[in-house]
Amino acid sequence: MITQNAKIAIVDDEVHIRALLEQTLEDLEGEPEILTASNGAEGLALIESERPQLVFLDVMMPLMNGYDVCAAVRKNPELAATTIVMLTAKGQESDRVHGLEVGVNYFMTKPFDPDEILDLARKILQVP
Amino acid sequence: MSKPAAYLKPTWARRQLELAYPLLPAGARVALWFGGKRLAAMGEDGPDLSEDAAGVQTFPLTLEGKMRGMLLLRLPPEAASAAEGIWGDFLVHSLQGVIEAEHARHSVAQEALASYREMALLQRAVTELNHSLKPAAVAASLLKEFDGRKNATDFGAVFLRDADDASYTLIQSFGENAADAFPRLIESRLFAAMAEHPLGDILNNLAEAPLWKGEIQEFQSLLWLPLAVHGENLGLLVLASRRAEGFSAADMKRAQMLVSVAASALRNAQLYAAEQMIFPAFVKVIATAIDAKSPYTAGHCRRVPEIALMLAEKAHLADSASFAAFRLDDEERNVLEIAAMLHDCGKMVTPEWVVDKATKLDSLSNRLDLIALRFEVLRRDAWIDCLRDSADGLPAAEQIYQERLRELDEDFAFLAKCNLGNEFMSPEHVGRIQGIAARRWCNARGEELPLLSENEVYNLCIQRGTLNAEERKIIEEHAVITIRMLSQIPFPRSLRNVTEYAGGHHERMDGNGYPRGLKGEQLSIPARIMAIADIFEALTAHDRPYRKAGTLNWAVEVMYRMKKDGHIDGELFDLFLSEGVYLEYARKHLAASQIDQVDVARYLG
Ligand SMILES: [Fe+2]
Ligand SMILES: [Fe+2]
Repeated sequence: MITQNAKIAIVDDEVHIRALLEQTLEDLEGEPEILTASNGAEGLALIESERPQLVFLDVMMPLMNGYDVCAAVRKNPELAATTIVMLTAKGQESDRVHGLEVGVNYFMTKPFDPDEILDLARKILQVP
Repeated sequence: MSKPAAYLKPTWARRQLELAYPLLPAGARVALWFGGKRLAAMGEDGPDLSEDAAGVQTFPLTLEGKMRGMLLLRLPPEAASAAEGIWGDFLVHSLQGVIEAEHARHSVAQEALASYREMALLQRAVTELNHSLKPAAVAASLLKEFDGRKNATDFGAVFLRDADDASYTLIQSFGENAADAFPRLIESRLFAAMAEHPLGDILNNLAEAPLWKGEIQEFQSLLWLPLAVHGENLGLLVLASRRAEGFSAADMKRAQMLVSVAASALRNAQLYAAEQMIFPAFVKVIATAIDAKSPYTAGHCRRVPEIALMLAEKAHLADSASFAAFRLDDEERNVLEIAAMLHDCGKMVTPEWVVDKATKLDSLSNRLDLIALRFEVLRRDAWIDCLRDSADGLPAAEQIYQERLRELDEDFAFLAKCNLGNEFMSPEHVGRIQGIAARRWCNARGEELPLLSENEVYNLCIQRGTLNAEERKIIEEHAVITIRMLSQIPFPRSLRNVTEYAGGHHERMDGNGYPRGLKGEQLSIPARIMAIADIFEALTAHDRPYRKAGTLNWAVEVMYRMKKDGHIDGELFDLFLSEGVYLEYARKHLAASQIDQVDVARYLG
């Protein structure tokens, strides 16, 4: 057996958001493995193959938007344990209803507060 | 430094190993370690694949000059050759390159994240701070950033500086016993020095500070920053810690950022508060001016708001369907109060003699006195006649004289009574006045004139009250002028209903009111409340000449008739009675002699 560390996926088309989130999540205990994808389709494939416990998902992305990724994940019973945090831009808050309908668990507004991201990730992954 | 594991991603490393593995001879065993963890392995696993086991080749991976991991390789003895060394070097070199690139990227990202964190913090703080319109709320929002969040400070406080005497007042604080500790801080010598410091500072190891006498034992270190905008010092943020090394440069940087936003928010709040005070002050001045204009309506504009608010409060709480849509929040309360204070502002231009007209013959002078004089002339005429008749030896002279005096006194008493305007003038009354008016008297120039002038007769014959038609019109004008005056004020959205509420206080439910003749359904509930408050205050006001202050019972009786007549809103009037508004007000403002028992049940429904 190689590693039992938690896995977190970051699906966002903006490279700097991926980098910042990755950097933020490195402060988590237990050295979770952080996976990244730069568009929706790639993100869905990553989630299906790697089964991360936690996914940070952007809304507006090429190939497949965040809602569709989320809906596809929710259709797959094998991925039932995936917690999805949607990253919405300021002003997109009104779309949250749609997000809830497709099965988003949490929302974070960009620019995200790193401390809030960490607190949420700790809560979901149940690490100190 | 970040954890080394972050510089080599297991997924990627595993894939890299998988790709390179087929180059090795069959039976090769490989393991990749980094940051104290085994990231990947290929080939048959076993305890003998370790650094110090025999036949294992080790290829080190370093980070910042230190060994942080390795690639371990073991081949079956028969397959060993020089190529494996080259394979290992090549793979480790590529891994090492990735580690270094990742390391560089991380340090850049670390820096970017710090800026990003600041931006996120500012964005949240700006939203929250600018949302507060009260200085105390701004201070609370600012302190919230230091209290209860990560790396919370033990104590925090915001002091406001008085621009006139440069004194400081505590307005918000947090921490154990903070409300007690921070006022003592103001007294300390150190505080005076802090207040003079233009840029703020950190004072760790407070026990060693020369000006500090240990005034507050829990404080072991301090951080303070002035709340300044454009060089104007508005206040001071003070954070305190129980630890001797409580604050770092990073804490200062964060505090500076938040304070820069808080200071402008505070200034806005102070300007807003100052502006908020001006308008009510003007309203009060206007209300006082109207009240001062007539001694008989003194206090009217101050008391009507009280009654109106009391009744509105009851309507807000009532669960009757009629008031379901009526909500009284702070904003609505404010609108109603302002409207009630200004409801009679049109009276500013109403002539005093009409406002004050207490009797029918009131004018710039009281004309009843003139009439009294004329009666006196007639009495003396009668006396002269009597003397003349006696001289002529007329036996009944004295008796006739007494008869005439009695008649004159009765007539004058009748006129004086009519003058009060308390009674309805019947045709018989009018006939008697005309009879009296037809008498003649002689003025100083010897002209013979009717006892009452045409205008006096006209006024005395006013059927109800003391105002004739023209004067009534002048009085009614005040409602039009109130509306006209208020329409010229550019009220903010929150106060846009002031004119409707104030301008409707003389309207009637049946549409026979003035100035617009609006019907009940066209009048807002606050406008109907205003009408009731206005009438009740006027009926119970005590300072009227020629009329005793009305008792509660009498006022309620009069208003009950108004309810039956379709003048005032019956449901509101019932609420006014059943919820005891009349009594609550009476206990506060009326003389004990006015407060009699009211049988409320009789007037309900
Ligand atoms: Fe009025
Ligand atoms: Fe009034």
